[in-house]
Amino acid sequence: MSRDAELRQKLHPIANHLIDEYQAGRLTRREFVRRLSVLGINLSFANFLASACGGGQNAASPTAAVPQTGSPAPQPTLNATPAGAGTPGSVPVVRAAVFMPAGKIDPITIADEGGLCLLSQTGEYLCWADEQLNLRPELATSWQPNDNASVWTFTLRQGVTFHNGKPLRAQDVVATFKRLTDPNSGSNALSAFQGVITPDGIKAKDEYTVVFELQRPFSNFPYLVSSDNYNTIILPEEYDGNYESTFIGTGALKLKEYQPRSKAVFVRNPTYWGKPAIPDMVELRFYEDESARILAFQGREVDVVTHVTASNGQPLFKDSTTQMIEFSSTTHLQVHMRTDTKPFDDRRVRQAIALLLDRPAIINGILLGKADIGNDHPFAPVYPSTDKTVAQRQQDLAKARSLLQAAGYGDGFSIKLVSWRGLAIPDLAAVIQQAAQQVRIRIDIELTDAGTYYGKAVFGESPWLDSTLGITDYGHRGAPDVVLRAALRSDGVWNAAHFKNTTYDRLVDDYAAATDLQRQRQIAKNIEELLLEETPLLITFFERYLIAARRGLSGIEPGAVGHLRLAHARFS
Amino acid sequence: MRWIRQYGIPLLRRLGSSVLTLWLITIVVFAMTNVLPGDVARRILGPFADERAVAALNHQLGTDRPLPEQYIHWLSRLAHGDLGTSLAMRRPVAQLLLPALANSAKLAGSALLVILPLSIFLGLVAAFSEGKALDFLIRLSGLVTTVLPEFVTSIAVILLFAIAIPLFPVTAVAPPHSSLPTQIYYLILPITPVTLVLVGYLCRVMRSSAVEILHTNYIRAAELKGLSRWRLLFWHLLPNALPPVIAVTANQLGYLLGGLVAIEAVFNYPGLGQLLLTAGRQKDFPVLQSGVLLVGLTYVLANTFADLLYWLLNPRLRERG
Repeated sequence: MSRDAELRQKLHPIANHLIDEYQAGRLTRREFVRRLSVLGINLSFANFLASACGGGQNAASPTAAVPQTGSPAPQPTLNATPAGAGTPGSVPVVRAAVFMPAGKIDPITIADEGGLCLLSQTGEYLCWADEQLNLRPELATSWQPNDNASVWTFTLRQGVTFHNGKPLRAQDVVATFKRLTDPNSGSNALSAFQGVITPDGIKAKDEYTVVFELQRPFSNFPYLVSSDNYNTIILPEEYDGNYESTFIGTGALKLKEYQPRSKAVFVRNPTYWGKPAIPDMVELRFYEDESARILAFQGREVDVVTHVTASNGQPLFKDSTTQMIEFSSTTHLQVHMRTDTKPFDDRRVRQAIALLLDRPAIINGILLGKADIGNDHPFAPVYPSTDKTVAQRQQDLAKARSLLQAAGYGDGFSIKLVSWRGLAIPDLAAVIQQAAQQVRIRIDIELTDAGTYYGKAVFGESPWLDSTLGITDYGHRGAPDVVLRAALRSDGVWNAAHFKNTTYDRLVDDYAAATDLQRQRQIAKNIEELLLEETPLLITFFERYLIAARRGLSGIEPGAVGHLRLAHARFS
Repeated sequence: MRWIRQYGIPLLRRLGSSVLTLWLITIVVFAMTNVLPGDVARRILGPFADERAVAALNHQLGTDRPLPEQYIHWLSRLAHGDLGTSLAMRRPVAQLLLPALANSAKLAGSALLVILPLSIFLGLVAAFSEGKALDFLIRLSGLVTTVLPEFVTSIAVILLFAIAIPLFPVTAVAPPHSSLPTQIYYLILPITPVTLVLVGYLCRVMRSSAVEILHTNYIRAAELKGLSRWRLLFWHLLPNALPPVIAVTANQLGYLLGGLVAIEAVFNYPGLGQLLLTAGRQKDFPVLQSGVLLVGLTYVLANTFADLLYWLLNPRLRERG
């Protein structure tokens, strides 16, 4: 038997399908590796497969072939200097400026970037979604779907202990996910698990195997149990809600001190299962204000600043002592146009508004080029399933005018745009307002605070969901499923555009059930084309995620959802 | 007995009306917090959380109970000396408020120690050189620094004196257990923008008050009598010119304690302003209400103190009783 055939025999059918796709040239090496990672195949093995099956020149060692239980997961690192330059030597302390956590630190309820950034210092996930959207094994060493991706089996790492010395067992994982899917726990992750899994579907098969029986097929399910769904750090079975006193977890760092509204200090966990933490101490200082974070960095009081915006971070871009870590995210602003209300009940009007916008100018003007272009659908370019052959929508004033003319709005109309004052929203609102003036559409912008805009976040009691025209911010997600469903499906709970289209609904279900990438991409193409035609939403850009770090500091493990792991950071 | 009649009864009356005022403030704050749309759990969990999770959290926090019940619950705990529990941080309000109040008081106190002497001095200099170039210069620069937003001056002083010339730290909090000089050193930069805003204002009040007094007949008479400049200044001018400055300063205390939001943000100073702003955003009414109550209380105390000073400085008030 050839080596190829031998390998294929051991692999899951979906993985074999991916190999076919890769060999046929329909997948790039990077996409191939990323898709394998979703199937629970560790990165070194995935890279080995890429080389073995695709004929790459740097075949990895076959000893890495089988996911090794108990072995440390390969650590993703962003190096400012080539790996190995500089000795790991002692790093006394790494200090980072992060967002002020919004409330009590409780993994169940946390919903803000400041809070979640704390979770991943000491806590770990079944898998870690890195900045390229690869899933890396963390507390799970491997995971397998059944044939239609409705049942997922996760094998846990052995030899892992919590900071209190208690060993990690399947019961802890089951309890963690039952808690998060329990409607009575106040879980912030409930909306992500809604319609996917209930507490009854989570079972321990043995001490180190957890089975998730889903309510429907879901090929991107591993993202829901990864760092991308940040509430899912694995907690002990007996967790009682008092997280703040211990920050209990399994991670490379453990809590030394937490001072609410001030800082959190972490030290090395001597019993960590993987590569030990490099710094003796990691200190996260909390700041309410972004300019304060950047000033503290410029004043050399911190070594890293998390999530810098392009506009505020500008002074750092040219600073020779600073390295900007930059990668694509799926964070975006959605401009919704209510498809059931005049004037947007006519699709031509919605298309016309979309055609007024000069997207490259918006990206350069508002985000100083730090964004990927959007094409009015949630498929960000960074998602592997995005079909990039669908033509990019371009500014076309003449076409916009003729569409409006045909729709009976040749003389324009007046409309109110509502949103909240924050992020790039006021700038985008102003750009839309100016663009609309060219076709005599008068937009009256009304910005409130975020709480007022979102209101009760249910239909009938929320300016967000009730307004005819509005702008809503969507954070990064490792897979597009949640946004595709909640923001656009007929029964979507965030469907501010009130978009109802049975073809779309069916396509989204098909997408979630599609287990191979080629199929996902075909469906994605249909969805992208349908949304371009219907244009319930304007999505003009996907922001890049920026982190500022002192030059020479390497080993930062970020995630676009807001993670900033510093356990393996070091100065060269 | 005369003393009690003279000072005690007005003081008691004042305190009574202050308590009433503070109580009304709590009702207004409570009503305003709850008029804002959305509920506490929704603010904590964010717009994208599941409705059932929001309902469950509201139930855990007790924010699903009728509003009057929530208010009475808070008030009855207050009567027992308990400021309540923060809804967002889920820890005793006192643990959050008291350190913040202490920090704010430290900042406000240090600022006043600079602001008061400086504005009195500049106001007097301007008054004595009324109509001359120096007067004009002081008034103009005072006007300029008053209208500059604190946010801008804060960033400017940091860029200049902490980054370009690294003389001072960016963050205003001294390490724990620091000596007094170190603590003062850390506070110099954040005090600067407050000083810039208030000195211009207070110095103009001082100037106009002093100019008015300088034009009175009794000052002229004292001058003609040949009193020394110093005696004139400390015996006749200051006691009569200071009351408006004291009144205005007392009125600024609320701002100094709870209103330095921008300065606290830029210097990452854990004062009351930021805490209350966050509490407002999160509809965390126990924190907001107790905080406003504390600021209000300080304000009332400061004004009572200012009135006392008034009495002491003004013989006519003292005589009248």
